[in-house]
Amino acid sequence: MEALTAILILLPFGTAVLCYLARIRVIRNIIILISGGLLIASAFLLIPYTPFSFSPKFLFGLDIHIFLQGGDFLLPLLFLYFGFKHNSLLVKIFAILQLLFILFIDFFLLKGGSAHSVFYCDNLSLLMVLIVSVVGSLIAFQAIPYMKNHEEHLHQSPSKQPGFFLVIFLFLGAMNGLVLANDLMFVYFFFEVTTLCSFLLIRHDQTERAIKNAVRALWMNSLGGIAFALALILILIQFQSTDMQRLVQLPPAVGFYLLALALICVAAFVKSAQFPFQSWLLGAMVAPTPVSALLHSSTMVKIGVYLVLRFTPALENTFLGLCVALIGSFSFLSAAALAVGQSNGKKVLAYSTISNLGLIFACAGINTPEAFTAGVFLILFHAPIKALLFLSVGTIEQHIASRDIEDMRGLYAKMPLTALITVFGVVMMLMPPFGLLLSKWMAIQAAAKNPLYIILLATGSALTVMYWARWAGTLMSDPFAGKFHPERQPLLTWLDLGSLALGAGGLSVAVPWIYPWLFRVDMIQGYTPPYQVTNGILENGYGIFPVLPLSLIAFIGLLISFGFLFRATKSRIAPSYLSGLETENPGVFRGPMNQPVAAEARNYYLGHIFSESKLTVWINLGAGVLLILLLGGAL
Amino acid sequence: MIPEAVLFIGSLIVAPLAGGFLSGMDRIITARLQARIGPPLLQPFYDLFKLLRKEWLLVNVWQAFCVNCYIAAASISVGLLVLKSDLLLILFIQAVGAIFLVVGALTSTSPYSQVGAQRELLQILSYEPLVILMVVGIYLETGSFKIQAVMDWDQPLLLRLPFLFLVLGYTLLVKLRKSPVDLSTSHHAHQELVKGLMTDYSGPYLALIEIAHWYEIILFLGLSTLFWATSWVGMFILGAVLFLIEILVDNTTARLNWRWMLSYSWGIGITLSLVNLIWLYMR
Repeated sequence: MEALTAILILLPFGTAVLCYLARIRVIRNIIILISGGLLIASAFLLIPYTPFSFSPKFLFGLDIHIFLQGGDFLLPLLFLYFGFKHNSLLVKIFAILQLLFILFIDFFLLKGGSAHSVFYCDNLSLLMVLIVSVVGSLIAFQAIPYMKNHEEHLHQSPSKQPGFFLVIFLFLGAMNGLVLANDLMFVYFFFEVTTLCSFLLIRHDQTERAIKNAVRALWMNSLGGIAFALALILILIQFQSTDMQRLVQLPPAVGFYLLALALICVAAFVKSAQFPFQSWLLGAMVAPTPVSALLHSSTMVKIGVYLVLRFTPALENTFLGLCVALIGSFSFLSAAALAVGQSNGKKVLAYSTISNLGLIFACAGINTPEAFTAGVFLILFHAPIKALLFLSVGTIEQHIASRDIEDMRGLYAKMPLTALITVFGVVMMLMPPFGLLLSKWMAIQAAAKNPLYIILLATGSALTVMYWARWAGTLMSDPFAGKFHPERQPLLTWLDLGSLALGAGGLSVAVPWIYPWLFRVDMIQGYTPPYQVTNGILENGYGIFPVLPLSLIAFIGLLISFGFLFRATKSRIAPSYLSGLETENPGVFRGPMNQPVAAEARNYYLGHIFSESKLTVWINLGAGVLLILLLGGAL
Repeated sequence: MIPEAVLFIGSLIVAPLAGGFLSGMDRIITARLQARIGPPLLQPFYDLFKLLRKEWLLVNVWQAFCVNCYIAAASISVGLLVLKSDLLLILFIQAVGAIFLVVGALTSTSPYSQVGAQRELLQILSYEPLVILMVVGIYLETGSFKIQAVMDWDQPLLLRLPFLFLVLGYTLLVKLRKSPVDLSTSHHAHQELVKGLMTDYSGPYLALIEIAHWYEIILFLGLSTLFWATSWVGMFILGAVLFLIEILVDNTTARLNWRWMLSYSWGIGITLSLVNLIWLYMR
């Protein structure tokens, strides 16, 4: 398993370098495909070894801590360089602060190896590794055809793809390192690497907007890094140890520890783009779509929720836990409200990510076994579905040159298969028996004991229905969607979208098997699996969700519905009703002076209530107050 | 005991029949309130059979798919109600049907369907949080989301959850497509939107929507009877009284626009629910 861990973390780094060196497209593509495949395989091979922990002493003949300390110094210096290059005061200040903190830690606090084991892998880490490796690799595969089109479209020459794939794989390696690390110093190091990677990826196109948004992402995430570094200092002063497994078992009320936990939560909120730190994630969509897919599904934003879920045992019965749940539910509702006001498809996806992450934080804060289960399941199901939706929107955008939902009206006529896959993704986001809704069901039942959380969650989920449903309908809206001829796309795109869609759907059906395998006693300190599984039915003392019977019924229903659809393709198609003034062109009616007028209708985006300009200020203000509540309560 | 499968399938057959009868009674009572005689009791079924004999005509083939999903979700939720399953799950599955109805309307390009669908989404938005809060209230009282626990509870829920019952009454009003919240479509063609989100459905597809609608009526009336689950007579009386009140409200109010609907339902509905939840919580 040492070898597997090494592969999972170092292979992407090696691939990154190879991608950069390989200037011939075909060779680079082969490298990407092979190492992606290797990554996926090693993630699966890790399953039988879990749980395990170990501490490598040397890497390439050098003490592993030399790499760590070198990296810890280099990264802030690099940030400082970018701060000067792009002339950003905030980046410079934060980089210098981080440098000072790191120096302080290394020279005054850290005395030799302080953690019992550098790496630790339990089922939570394993799940994260699987998500990062599988979904991340799939996104990297889809990036191959996407980036080819992208560069042709933007006339980028010479190709910047070597650099692009360098960062993508660096990112995957850092993610795997982060979720496998047990020593908080290593977590911090990988945390900073992901900050760097996201900055480079957002900046990739080098347009003015890209640079502006990338710099914003950099300073915000540096702020998160500072919070993390401060937390490290406090923890080291208090316990002289950065062993995460030991820390989470400690009672939270000890001295600085509560404040350190609060700071880690703040760092997590920044990474997971919770309000008021959401703007970096929204700005990140200037980057090529695979980057968004990567940031939103399997990497970056999942760091925050992973960290907080890790620390849930320490949060139990604390005011801090209450605050985390409150901030999470608040984000869930606010992001859903903002998504309702958006006609920009990518922004809808971004807000939905923030909303779902909020729900995960809410689960972590509520901190019952049911809530924890819901949080982990949300991570698992959100990753492939969101990756699928982003990649679909990217594919659509390259075809119709727009990401606006209104421009996707009747997409089924132009890109039937992509439209169908997108609708399927939306359905998985929204409907039982799919996993995301199962998790939401668990979350709501877990939150039901507290009227405040439940009001936020109930209103938020109603808003969620609104923005997804109208998108699905808009994609299929067309007067003559009769014949089905799949459009032409690169094979890799179809394989990618197909495997994500089928994978996410299959995972949902497999919940009765995944659940007992994944959730064991002591998956995390003091955890017992709350649900019993009998005949594919999940049940606890106060709730019952027949996953397998429902999936079966849903599948039969789907087959019958497709039968209906097939029958309908043979029946007569009438023009839609236009008050009896239809012309022979569908959707066009005879207007005044007998002139043809095209009937037009748009979705309700309710801009005067839900627009960003109306809501963002107040939401940020509210979130700021909640953050102060959280930090003040921890003092 | 009757096997669960028989109960499930039995409910799938009985529910639309009951829904149709209720629809017929609704039409007679409404007519009497308006000093008319009204149609025969079985008129909804006559209408249904007439629709079923017409041509299978569509605007967009995906409408067929959506109609089918709507009726499937509506019937399954009724089946789960009869099996005394999980309340929250039943609501989620019912929502699937409601969403597919909207998606089906959106697949047509007619502005009437489109606007009707948008309004239907706003209606869903107005009642969805309320029904979740209602279910949460039942959980806070009985300690379970399972209907079985409600049936085993030894006192009527209505006494502890009066406001949440009111909120459910509002939801039933929306589901029955009754004034003042019949924005997206209504039973009478006195709408500015022709027939709203059902404008482009016709013939047998419209008949299937009607059947699904009957399932939904039974589902929500069934949920309301849970508030007096200690005796069968109590359940019947509660359901009947609520149904009469709904018809009365329908005949005495004018349609709201969506702004009013949303602000009333969220403002008043959520406040009432919250008050009721706090009572339960503070106990």
